[in-house]
Amino acid sequence: MFVTTYLRRELRHRKRQAVFTALGLAVAIGTVISVASASSGAAKAQSTVLKSLYGVGTDISVTVPWSKETGAPGHMVQPGDTAQQLDFLDSPAMGLLDASSVPSIAGARGVSAAVGALILQDTKFDMPAAQPKPGQPEPQMTPPKQVTVDGVDPARTRPGPLAAATVSAGRGFGAADTTADVALVSTNYANANSLHLGGTVTVAKHAFTIVGLVDVPQNADPRDVYLPLARAQAVGELSGKVNTVYVTATSAADVDTAAKAIKALQPRAAVTTADSLAKAVTGSLADTAKLADNLGRWLSVAVLAAAFAMASLLTITSVSRRVREFGTLKALGWPTRRVTGQIMAEAAATGAIGAALGVGLGFAGAAVITRVAPALNASVASSPGSKPVQGMIISGDQGQAPTTQGFDAPDSVHTIVVHLTAAVTLGAVVLAVALALAGGLIAGGFGSWRAARMRPAEALARVE
Amino acid sequence: MYELTTVTKDYVRDDRRVLALQGVSLTVDDGDWLAVQGPTGQGKSTLLQLLGALSRPTSGTVKLDGQDLSQLPDASLTRLRAESIGFVFQFFNLLPTLTAQENVEAALVPLKVSAKERRRRAAQTLESVGLADRAAHLPSELSGGQQQRVAIARALVKEPRVLLADEPTGNLDHDTAGEIIALLEARWREQALTVVLVTHDNAIAQRAGRVAVMRKGRLTVTPPTMRQGVAES
Ligand SMILES: Nc1ncnc2c1ncn2[C@@H]1O[C@H](COP(=O)(O)OP(=O)(O)OP(=O)(O)O)[C@@H](O)[C@H]1O
Ligand SMILES: [Mg+2]
Repeated sequence: MFVTTYLRRELRHRKRQAVFTALGLAVAIGTVISVASASSGAAKAQSTVLKSLYGVGTDISVTVPWSKETGAPGHMVQPGDTAQQLDFLDSPAMGLLDASSVPSIAGARGVSAAVGALILQDTKFDMPAAQPKPGQPEPQMTPPKQVTVDGVDPARTRPGPLAAATVSAGRGFGAADTTADVALVSTNYANANSLHLGGTVTVAKHAFTIVGLVDVPQNADPRDVYLPLARAQAVGELSGKVNTVYVTATSAADVDTAAKAIKALQPRAAVTTADSLAKAVTGSLADTAKLADNLGRWLSVAVLAAAFAMASLLTITSVSRRVREFGTLKALGWPTRRVTGQIMAEAAATGAIGAALGVGLGFAGAAVITRVAPALNASVASSPGSKPVQGMIISGDQGQAPTTQGFDAPDSVHTIVVHLTAAVTLGAVVLAVALALAGGLIAGGFGSWRAARMRPAEALARVE
Repeated sequence: MYELTTVTKDYVRDDRRVLALQGVSLTVDDGDWLAVQGPTGQGKSTLLQLLGALSRPTSGTVKLDGQDLSQLPDASLTRLRAESIGFVFQFFNLLPTLTAQENVEAALVPLKVSAKERRRRAAQTLESVGLADRAAHLPSELSGGQQQRVAIARALVKEPRVLLADEPTGNLDHDTAGEIIALLEARWREQALTVVLVTHDNAIAQRAGRVAVMRKGRLTVTPPTMRQGVAES
């Protein structure tokens, strides 16, 4: 084909023009790909955060905000004549739901599975005597030791916090554990507290045999101890209650339908979806995601516009310099369409070179972003809608009226650290290549317009 | 072949009107060799562009074989140029990035000629102008005379009916100019070619069958004479 011969010759002999135009487009394309991959990396990191909070397979979580009506009765403790060793389970941050609401949620429209759990806090606390014995030093208040305890259905761990857990020693839960005094302990907690497989862990003064050590995926919101739901309800004196329901929707498209149906069933509940949670995520990850979305988009548009303008200008200049050449072609009887076709082919080829270079730059840019991106943290309330101050410690001094002191439930806000991985997606590459070609064609369009306007006689009259 | 009747051509630029041709009437018969002379800026190139269907007259008619070119649509003029008209220019106007061979091929691109045939004809025509061994060279690698030979090959490869040459030797030394004219004359004799040639060179003009002088947009044709120049050479 003569067009391709001519094209090759032009690109080879007008290398500088082609290289400048292609490089301009390549920089723009590289920026677009880098920004898009940073943006999708941030989105992926966010979804990792959300997944790790609620476990794989959870589309919706249902909790009830704490209030006097929905909360557990609480434990009133007062200093007595002697020192007391307290150990009780509580649902301090979250309101309670009847366990019977779980099957009704499971039957809601758009819901494929619903599993109830009871997230509790075990508080171990040495309460000194009200009146210290004469001669003994004034007792010091020691802060309570708190352990997070999750009562889960041993027969069904998916969806739920254990869905993505791996058993590092022993075994996981099974249906036979429903009423057994057995516990799974997170490996970290076991290591920190010298607990061993086959040993026991004490929760609310009850001993549970440790049958497994589990790891939940990195960044997740691990509990220290997992108990069979029925046992957790019993020792927590919360029979027939749950405080979190993990829900899987029938499909990703049904999440909103399911959330609405659940809200209708449980008007007081906080129904949290990945979408609504994403909005509640704060911290550097959220900022990065916003940055990638907003600034990145504008940066991409600006760089693209600059590259397109540069490519167009260079092409127009080149066409103007080649006026005599195109005039000659017209004198040879080349139709205008053939001449402009030649210009378009050259511009498209330049665009394609720009696209190829740009994709390379984009991969490099994404790699650099991944390399230099600092660890990002995402903060999210574990039970949206709950009031922030949860626990109560009641203490008294030498016969004085007991004072109350609030403290934050330790897990009411999760901060999860993730690393941003800017991965180049096929979509981004396709988009970028399309943009580079579009840039080339726009430039070629300007050049063609310039060439089509030339009168051949004038073009020939021009002496270089 | 050509019949021009009171042709005028105005150029308007920056609100200034240049009357480049002011009523030119001219007949060119098939097989004629017409030389056009005249001082600079008098309308010679303008006349050639009208003959070559590169522009349209402001008034009057330019008939080629009875067809009024001023009435034909652009597409027909383009096809006419592609099939029937060969141009040779003072500055050769070769496409700088293409080889000699490809420059010649470019003239066949708008015609329905297969790539193979195109290559064969271009090579053959290059050979006929004595440049077979320079086919792969770029214009910048050729001398002025060689470049003009390539341009002539490009003009002739389509076997046009008319060759329009605008000062084809204007950029060449005397000897090379003579060679180029001799080459044109040979082709003119061999093919049933009509030639209109603009030149400042009296010697070259005298070799023509007819000489026309362009002055201030008007053409004076000297009566046909014996082509002594050719006879002598
Ligand atoms: N495209 C154009 N626009 C405006 N004026 C033009 C254009 N082309 C030619 N002219 C003018 O028309 C007149 C005739 O020009 P033309 O090129 O035909 O002269 P010429 O006889 O070929 O001159 P030369 O011997 O220098 O080539 C000149 O005054 C020239 O300036
Ligand atoms: Mg001229």
